[in-house]
Amino acid sequence: MSTTVTPTTVDDLRDAVLDRPGTLRVAGAGTAADWAGTPAPADTVLDLTGLSGIVTHNPGDMTVEVRAGTPFAALQAELGEHHQRVAVDPARAAEGATLGGLFATADSGPRALQYGSLRDLVIGATIVLADGTVARSGGHVIKNVAGYDLTKVLHGAHGTLGVIAGLVLRLHPSPQATATVAVPCDRAASADLARRIADSPAEAVAVQWHGVAGQGGRLLADVEGSESGADARARRLADAVGGELLAPDDAAAAWEAHAVAVRARPDGRAVLRFGVVPSALTGVLDGLEADAGDLGDVTASPRTGVATVALPADADVVAAAHRRVAAAGGTSTLRQRPTGADLPAFGPAPASAVVLRAVAASLDPDQRLGRGRLAPWVPTPESTGVSA
Amino acid sequence: MLDAAMVREFTDLLSDNGVITDEVGLRSYECDGLTGFRQVPALVVLPRDAQEVAGAVRLCAKYGMPFVARGAGTGLSGGAMPVADGVVISLQKLRRILEIDVENRRAVLEPGVYNLEISKAAAPYGLYYAPDPSSQQVCTIGGNVAENSGGAHCLKYGFTTNHVLEMEVVLADGSVATLGGPTGEQAGPDLRGLFIGSEGTLGVCTKVTVRLLQTPETVRTVLADFPSIEAAGDTVGDIVDAAIIPAAVEMMDSLAMEASEAATGAGLTVDSPAALIIELDGPADEVEAEFEHLTAICERHGATRLHVPTEAEERQKVWKGRKAAFAAVGRISPDYIVQDGVVPRTRLAEVLTRIAEMGRDAGLRVANVFHAGDGNLHPLVLYSESAGEHDAAEKLSTDIAELCVELGGSLSGEHGIGTDKACSMPTMFSADDLGVMHRVRLAFDPDSRCNPGKLFPTPRLCGERPGKYAPHPLEEAGVIERL
Repeated sequence: MSTTVTPTTVDDLRDAVLDRPGTLRVAGAGTAADWAGTPAPADTVLDLTGLSGIVTHNPGDMTVEVRAGTPFAALQAELGEHHQRVAVDPARAAEGATLGGLFATADSGPRALQYGSLRDLVIGATIVLADGTVARSGGHVIKNVAGYDLTKVLHGAHGTLGVIAGLVLRLHPSPQATATVAVPCDRAASADLARRIADSPAEAVAVQWHGVAGQGGRLLADVEGSESGADARARRLADAVGGELLAPDDAAAAWEAHAVAVRARPDGRAVLRFGVVPSALTGVLDGLEADAGDLGDVTASPRTGVATVALPADADVVAAAHRRVAAAGGTSTLRQRPTGADLPAFGPAPASAVVLRAVAASLDPDQRLGRGRLAPWVPTPESTGVSA
Repeated sequence: MLDAAMVREFTDLLSDNGVITDEVGLRSYECDGLTGFRQVPALVVLPRDAQEVAGAVRLCAKYGMPFVARGAGTGLSGGAMPVADGVVISLQKLRRILEIDVENRRAVLEPGVYNLEISKAAAPYGLYYAPDPSSQQVCTIGGNVAENSGGAHCLKYGFTTNHVLEMEVVLADGSVATLGGPTGEQAGPDLRGLFIGSEGTLGVCTKVTVRLLQTPETVRTVLADFPSIEAAGDTVGDIVDAAIIPAAVEMMDSLAMEASEAATGAGLTVDSPAALIIELDGPADEVEAEFEHLTAICERHGATRLHVPTEAEERQKVWKGRKAAFAAVGRISPDYIVQDGVVPRTRLAEVLTRIAEMGRDAGLRVANVFHAGDGNLHPLVLYSESAGEHDAAEKLSTDIAELCVELGGSLSGEHGIGTDKACSMPTMFSADDLGVMHRVRLAFDPDSRCNPGKLFPTPRLCGERPGKYAPHPLEEAGVIERL
């Protein structure tokens, strides 16, 4: 049985790491508890939802320091009052996901096309290592090359290597207006349409294809700017690609349906998130469908090459899907593992896994944190520590 | 110690006379753009491809020799300064643009490709590479990766780390790994982001895949003179408050403009106390509307002149005035040191006032050229070596960098820590912070042979001027290690 501690300060967190013997598992809102590798049973769960709130927001500098357990949606709402935002839009935010959780799971949304993911927006961090060391990296200025960019290594670490206690982010102004163009199309046609959107002067900040199982699909493109500018550009874009400028309510509904598909938890299925070079995306999706059958509702970004699909919760099928993505030069991560299913979290280990294991051994030699989450790239040690 | 048999192994490995052993040849590698720190290496090798780089690194591993990877040697922090008894691995022969992938908007490059060459190769397709360090004509993408280079346009578009998708790296033992992936979303921890900006201390980058962006539909630039530095600073604040993100906002003071104008004839007003170069880019309608707003803000703060170049050529001339400023300072001072500290943008006026005071106290002139949008200062400390002002200038320069940290900023915005600022690192980071960085370093490079003596403060570096390396008795006994 594991016990749960809920630190409310960085000092509390450090004390908990030092005082609790054995293995530790970091938990946020629990919206990605079954992403990546299956966690080994931990002696203590570090519940970071108590480590919440903005530490400092400097609107003039467009930076904010935030405690890791802060719900992302609440952070956005607070920044919105200053007409600022963190320019990422992960689907999980609506389910209460925390900033730290989104960072640790390398989650991002459609706006990654324009703004990148959280790894591109983070400028500093406070981390607590498994031996109780509290370290900072980066700082409060957006431009900073002093020392290693340590924060990056926790992006996608799924609660291993170190505990993220807080992050400093660069902010963007909220756009005055957003306009959405929708083009009904099937997957095969989406790549060419998306290219035409990219080649137009519209400067779309998000281009996503959303296919509904058994039905057709459509491409959604978002344009940001001034009230008049965004609308005019979206209109020109709609004309150029044979799409429709959606009314604000319809646009919100279309993107909400897209987000619901991304965070869907289809019963008894595995969910895979992968990224390949954009020109390979359609081919990989076709291949996955040929291998695994129905992929459920598919969301895909034809311009970034990132897609989310559902697969049968079968270890061989999931392994084959990972291999197919890897063969196309991409990477993939398991995003839903039905209870009890033993599914591979990642594809074949890259050559860099040797370095990853060395970094893990250096920062957390006893593998106290998030054991199993990066397996098999970082194998789980044989001994289970001091688990009672 | 390097002996003839070892040199022969390097010679056998490398094609095309890729080994330099003669004193004159070696001496041309003794420093980078920070010429105050010099060290002649034991050997320079010029591999022709990634395999030869890996081979050279393996030979270094075999003999326990330290090595320093070097691009064009334009760095300003002594990051490519050689190590005594060590090998310099020059990447200058790895200069091929391997692919311009128009469909996927990316370029695959060898590390020795010059920054500006990427945009030149992409231009026919309406694409370009965004990070644009002032030295972009002569600095290499491999060096940009090592330093996480920025440039005037990174306020809007980000830094090297935001544009590199994937890298092939040779690790300290000579093994080869790929970091990153074909998209921004990769499985597992972001080792790519850790490697970028590690100043050559984690390995040697031998191939880089970067994102290319669509050339903006419209670019508008204004050169605005102001009656004071404060007025120019307030203008920048109001631009940010108006939710305008310019592609670039650069500030120059009168001393910097005097030097640059003499060198370039770019059209700067030499007796103006301050000037801003502000550039907007994007869709035509947005840019026109914002540009109008922008010039109104300038006028509200008492701009004495607004020069709006209309032709691309004219715009390039204005930029030349900015980008040539460092070198031009040589016209008004025999010697100078370039600083690279960062402050939160809202503290710009405060830091500039204090720098002026510190300059007066030290009896030295300081010219200012900087990226005002993101608070990245480039104070140029002017001095005369022959007048014996070197140490005072060095001290003033260090004090300015540390002042930036005191004001909540950073020692370096884009030039890196290297040899130059390693001793100031404890003002910005605690022993624990640095200890964790060092643990990561050892995970990549257990013997600390990749570019040793850089980035981390060491007693040897911070206690004395660099000299010929000799192992300390405790080091030989394995009690202490040289960082």
